[in-house]
Amino acid sequence: MSEDTIIGDIDVLVIGGGLAGAFAAIKAKEAGAANVVQVDKASVGRSGCSAFGAGVMRTFLPQEDDRDKAVYENVMRTNFLCDQERLEHHLEDCFARIKEMDAFGVEFEKTPDGQFERILARGVSRMVMFKGGYKMMEAMRKAAIKKGVKIVDRVMVVDLLTDNGRIAGAVGFSTENGQAFEFIARSIVLAAGGGWMKGRRPGHRNITGDSMAVAYRAGVTLAGLDSAEANTGPAMYDIGPGNNMYMSAGAILVNADGERFAGIYDEDLKERTELSVLNVACSIEARRGKTPLFLDMTHIEPEKVQRMKRVIPLPMMMYERAGVVVGDKFVKRIEWVIEGPHCKGGLMLNSRYETTLPGLFTCGDAMPTVGPQGQSALPGAMTSGARAGMYAAEYAAAVSPPKINPEQGSELRKRMFAPLKRKDGIEPDQVLLSLQETITPYDVLILRHEQRLAKALEEVEGIWHDQVPLLYAYDPHYLRMAHEASNIVLVAMMMLKSALERKESREALREDYPYLDNANWVKLVTVQKEGERMSIGAAPVSLERSKLQPAKEKSLNPLWQVAEKQGIIRIEEGKVRWV
Amino acid sequence: MGVRKIDVSACIGCGTCIEYCPMDVLKMDEESQKAFIKYLRDCQDCFLCERVCPNNAIQCIPVYERRIPLPW
Repeated sequence: MSEDTIIGDIDVLVIGGGLAGAFAAIKAKEAGAANVVQVDKASVGRSGCSAFGAGVMRTFLPQEDDRDKAVYENVMRTNFLCDQERLEHHLEDCFARIKEMDAFGVEFEKTPDGQFERILARGVSRMVMFKGGYKMMEAMRKAAIKKGVKIVDRVMVVDLLTDNGRIAGAVGFSTENGQAFEFIARSIVLAAGGGWMKGRRPGHRNITGDSMAVAYRAGVTLAGLDSAEANTGPAMYDIGPGNNMYMSAGAILVNADGERFAGIYDEDLKERTELSVLNVACSIEARRGKTPLFLDMTHIEPEKVQRMKRVIPLPMMMYERAGVVVGDKFVKRIEWVIEGPHCKGGLMLNSRYETTLPGLFTCGDAMPTVGPQGQSALPGAMTSGARAGMYAAEYAAAVSPPKINPEQGSELRKRMFAPLKRKDGIEPDQVLLSLQETITPYDVLILRHEQRLAKALEEVEGIWHDQVPLLYAYDPHYLRMAHEASNIVLVAMMMLKSALERKESREALREDYPYLDNANWVKLVTVQKEGERMSIGAAPVSLERSKLQPAKEKSLNPLWQVAEKQGIIRIEEGKVRWV
Repeated sequence: MGVRKIDVSACIGCGTCIEYCPMDVLKMDEESQKAFIKYLRDCQDCFLCERVCPNNAIQCIPVYERRIPLPW
């Protein structure tokens, strides 16, 4: 193995190559940071969720949309968990960022008079469309390079370096040749995405909770890890994403009896309902024995299919290859499932996007991504990334260079290379499958009960103690896979512990605590490493400066109310009984 | 999963697919200067390599080759 590469004197190090990271790097440069480096374990712009974005972004346009209504929608749909101050930032900045992307060369669908064309897809906010996530990110990569951002591809950051309680840098390795990398940085923007579990989702299998795992090991407080969501997709084909385009075009979801059921849970939006509602609707159908479920798009008009081919070119190629799309028609309905859960939690942050570790900033899906707009997915990545980059540059300008502790660096390198040094051991695939079998069933993290959560936690802790220490890597590629598997297991453990802590039904439904408890639970569950112990707590959502305030009362979660009204459940002694 | 075939007669050895692959699945054969599929199991079936190949040398199919558990 060749010698270590040390990249020093960095003002802002951006970890992650998606839309959040791109905007962070660009805005850090614009804010005056001289040395901005962006690193990705794959390659910047072709990695993470963004390159596989489903061609749409919820967008707030000040000249067309009602700001108070947007705030109301977002706060109500998250039952007060969304950060209203950051939501205001998003609404303030959204249109400016879209215009910048347009100027960087991102190809949006436009009306004949040159305006951004928008559609209603999932939820109530209208969405702009662009032609392919990977093309969008190609333009962003070029824009970052043009601004003077230095790109480091194929280096996976594994741990953070600290200097007396502030950020000092990061260590990682090249997935090409196994060389160790050390970055010495005044500030870092951690933008390495959320916590997907390599589930049924092409394009999302390299988003492995790295942000959360890296931050946890450095003692940073995490929040919202009880919040899990699954996207939906085909059961038999490895095809995705595209749900927003399907639902926008009028896709219909039916159960095994041919009944269209989404409208039971959301009368207005039906299949266009938010994912959290769709997750519950599908899971209740499964609990009632009404699977398999099917998505039917056979009635969709050719011009809408043509648009799908422009906006989500990759999934449409897959459907054609599978014989589901012929010409401009879907020719068969598709067996449909909820995919494995992904963790919507992230690094706890203040209104300057700084985490509990001074000098460490975060954005995009590495933040707690609560809320349908502004704090999640591409729109949230775009606006939060820009702010995080700007604030990180301001921080870097105000502090002295960090001191590197050689002992810390050497300890972290030892941990990083351990799977390569071992003579034999467990393949990452084995760990991954054990984990997926534990947490993928719908009745673990979507429909919840203490007993099932506790059993899953016991199994995941078993994987953590028995399998993860034996992870073995044949070469630098497998070293990446080993760290990804380890990070996924760590995040799953944090998710299950956090889910056990929330004793109410808010985003996810608890059978044993079916009430939405605004008197006690307008809080984010927090996780922090204390010595070797994983400490779980709760932090109230700051509502001091918020326009909307919850009534401090407890009521049956609205989705449980629907199920009760339908005669699917009844409440006995404060708990759900299935009828 | 996914990437099935790189047609060596069509591959021009430009390295675009290798550069794009988010999962580090593809490598360049030093001798022949053609891309090859090294880590098939880690392919995420995104079709990006097929899409960006300038000479249509790559073919992917949308099937799971490693079992991913179903939710029900």
